[in-house]
Amino acid sequence: MQFSENWLKEFIDIEVSTQELCEQLTMLGLEVDGYQEYKSKLTGRDSIIKLDITPNRGDCFSIIGIARELSALHGKKFLYPKTSFIKATLKSPIEVDICEESPRYVGRYVEGIDLKKTVSPLIKERLKMSDVRSIDPIVDITNYVLLETGQPLHAFDAKKIQNGLSVRFAKNNEKIKLLDEQDLKLASDCLVITDRKKPVAFAGIMGGLDSGISNSTKSIYLESAFFKPEVVRGKARRYGLQTDASVRFERGVDYNLQSLAIERASELINEFMDIDFAPVQLFEKKKSIPKTKKVSFKLDNTRKLLGVETKDSEMMTMLKRLGMKVSSINKQGKVSVEVPSWRFDISIEADLIEEISRLIGYDKLPSTSLASSNRETDDSLHQVTRSSLTSMGYNEAITYSFVDEKEASLFDDKSNMVFVKNPISQNMSVMRTSLLPGLLNTFSYNYNRGEESVKLFEIGSTFTKGKKIKQKEKLAGLISGKASDIHWDGDETEYDFYNLKGDLEVLLNQGNYSFVKGKISFLHPGKTADILRNKKNIGFLGAINPNISNILDLKQEVFYFEIDLDALPKSELKKYSKYSKFPIAQRDLAFLVNKSTTISDVIALAKEKSGKDLKEIKLFDVYEGKGIPENKKSVAFSLYWQSMKGTLTDEEVDKTVQSISFFLSKKINAELRS
Amino acid sequence: MDIDSLSKKSKEILNTSDSLDDLEIAQRSLLGKSGEVTLLLKKLGSLPAGERKAAGRNLNILKNKIQDLFQKRKAELKELEANKKLQRDSIDVTLPGRTGKRGTIHPVTQTIDEISSFFTSKGFSVASGPEAESDYYNFEALNIPEDHPAKDMHDTFYLDNGDLLRTHTSPVQVRVMENNEPPLRIICPGRVYRKDSDLTHTPMFHQIEGLLIEEGTSFAQLKGLLEDFISDFFGSDTEIRFRPSYFPFTEPSAEVDIRWKKGWLEILGCGMVHPNVLEMSGIDSKKYTGFAFGLGPERIAMLKHDIPDLRAFFENDMRFLKQF
Repeated sequence: MQFSENWLKEFIDIEVSTQELCEQLTMLGLEVDGYQEYKSKLTGRDSIIKLDITPNRGDCFSIIGIARELSALHGKKFLYPKTSFIKATLKSPIEVDICEESPRYVGRYVEGIDLKKTVSPLIKERLKMSDVRSIDPIVDITNYVLLETGQPLHAFDAKKIQNGLSVRFAKNNEKIKLLDEQDLKLASDCLVITDRKKPVAFAGIMGGLDSGISNSTKSIYLESAFFKPEVVRGKARRYGLQTDASVRFERGVDYNLQSLAIERASELINEFMDIDFAPVQLFEKKKSIPKTKKVSFKLDNTRKLLGVETKDSEMMTMLKRLGMKVSSINKQGKVSVEVPSWRFDISIEADLIEEISRLIGYDKLPSTSLASSNRETDDSLHQVTRSSLTSMGYNEAITYSFVDEKEASLFDDKSNMVFVKNPISQNMSVMRTSLLPGLLNTFSYNYNRGEESVKLFEIGSTFTKGKKIKQKEKLAGLISGKASDIHWDGDETEYDFYNLKGDLEVLLNQGNYSFVKGKISFLHPGKTADILRNKKNIGFLGAINPNISNILDLKQEVFYFEIDLDALPKSELKKYSKYSKFPIAQRDLAFLVNKSTTISDVIALAKEKSGKDLKEIKLFDVYEGKGIPENKKSVAFSLYWQSMKGTLTDEEVDKTVQSISFFLSKKINAELRS
Repeated sequence: MDIDSLSKKSKEILNTSDSLDDLEIAQRSLLGKSGEVTLLLKKLGSLPAGERKAAGRNLNILKNKIQDLFQKRKAELKELEANKKLQRDSIDVTLPGRTGKRGTIHPVTQTIDEISSFFTSKGFSVASGPEAESDYYNFEALNIPEDHPAKDMHDTFYLDNGDLLRTHTSPVQVRVMENNEPPLRIICPGRVYRKDSDLTHTPMFHQIEGLLIEEGTSFAQLKGLLEDFISDFFGSDTEIRFRPSYFPFTEPSAEVDIRWKKGWLEILGCGMVHPNVLEMSGIDSKKYTGFAFGLGPERIAMLKHDIPDLRAFFENDMRFLKQF
């Protein structure tokens, strides 16, 4: 809400500069978004003050609401707008049939409207300063009173109302054409004002077009109603109709304000039009009018919760300044506080403590230090993982959790996907089931900007459809392009499968992991591995399938891994294990094996026959080509033995070597090369 | 040849040898099996007895002299050789080393880690929870009823199964309160989502929220803790302002501003946990009070690193990422 400073100061007489005023408002919880000086020909120096009002303070959406707050702060009285009793000379032709949701409805029939007249320049100026467009004198007056008092008013063209009004819930799909010429079909939880034929207003939100004021209007029916917040809430949002009225009604309009507002409007209309009034009509359902709320308040709790030393009497004064009625203190140190009709946000003790805090001033509340507690020590898995990956040259990315449906479909089946019902854009319409689409986009984004070497990782959740959405935390990495550790005296190399695998081996350095040939539709069929931990699949790595690369227009080979984050080794306390003091025996062996035999098979078989003293097998050469028969490859590895009990003799080791070679030849037709 | 001229010659050939090999050869030509000095020594016997003694002495002096010369020259040559080797072996130490460049941690993550580390030092532990949440945990349990205007502050993304993407990390607090007994001190960092996208909003961003529930917790403690945090994080001369605000799940509520350049800048929201929220999560609000606070790592990272555009965080341009 924005308003003229001079207007506000008509209602409260305080001597503060604009800047001080703004600071005071902000410190009261009515945040000033800014102010702007305004030179008024009518009132001199003025300012436009812009407030951000929190949803709990519907009562501050008006000049008098703001004046009331300042009055509480300064302990000075504020004024209500001027009204004078206008003698009725007409009888109202309109009666209103109300319901529980509008338990107080005040109306007034007015004749002699002349729409050619205009409101005073002061009213025009103030509307303009509040960013309200001047439309016709009647709408201008209703808007002015709305800004001044916070009570939304509506003016019907009395001629267009057939046989009185009633307030009721809409019938399902009941149609109404609103003032903004929009046709709506209402649901049955929407409140409407109707005449005997059809709805003439969407209660608390917007009037209807057909019953609205037009050039031919000569008589009007003014409405000043209280609609319960619950019945207005959510409707404006549902139909996209946020209005000055709906904003106030859904936050709560003072249920004792209706008569004052209609008198004020009458007064203002009477000032510049030659008008005949019918009496103010009051329609009430007394039982449904909100009851005055009473809150039991143990004053000492304020001191405990805030750590202040404010006296009981001071607190009671503060509450009274805010328009509350406060009983005397009982034996338990409690008072009973009556909440004023404009405060919909106060219902428990904590609410009253906040009121007292505001008036003391948050800046004056004390602060103390917090009693210490045990420090949480363990570095999180995330931190350890990030630190390993960055030391290997990876840059962390954070990509959106929602991705393009088409792209996501390249990597997963639609039936697995969770869709966003109201996406912000079409390319963010589905929750990712893998971190791959986001990282691929990041790769392309950077590639297109000339980045030749990309090494990225991300930690984040994936979402898969299920009875309940399955959310899993994943770690993914992507490498592509020139190896960033290319050296000035070495050959230029490109990242390949083994770069990525090597990095993963460093990352997964503890625990029992293995890599086996895998099959994943979006990866290159010859360059895909599953990652197993204790035989359980925990992730995969591989090269992006060239067909996918074509579709996504990836200009170079991209390698990717993704693993379940909880499969990563947690740092744990290391226990000492004994090691041998005796010398190591080493043998280098080279075998000719079939090309199709995997190295991991050869090593596993060799291990099987190497005995319990084997310490390690190190692969040092894999070769095929010249000098090697076709369909064969040469595999060379070193074996290391060490016994805990003594020095191994050559005879013992040679015997083991023989048995390995025999076993390999039997199992996979391997041939020992001399 | 007489001893004098031999002595002269020896000196010359030893001192002019300019490699260790040449020196060896020169020495052998004098003192080797058939070296000139050796031959003269062998001939001593054939000399007349009167001359033999003096000649023998002179030859031995010469022999020793040659050996000294040889050792001296040898040392010289070795040093020369070593110096040559050092010159040959010299490298350009300004060339880059072999290991590749270190990668970087995303500035948002770094900020979260820094903030977390302050609060873990105060006894808070890190908790996390689902990003796809139910309406109950995101709104209802936090005292935000259906259709309440406070919900308008959260432009929510809904999922096809009826769940939503959490609009704040507060649901984690509810889950922790439901499953644990006070005293509680937790912080919950994570991604949150709001349907908003412009210069200063992205549809996904991060939050860190903290929650403390103990007996006798006061607003003064909350103020003290956050003042400590801000002076730790932004420097002890940072001016701070607490002002009233509104969150449905705290009462009283406050917003905290810091003085930044010319004006005040809002950096976190906080308050005493609303009794309704405690009760809904099964905590006795008569016995326990608590406070909660929340801040936005992106905003803080922007301040700290002078980053002008929020959207840079999620573009992941390497030229951006590598700066941090």
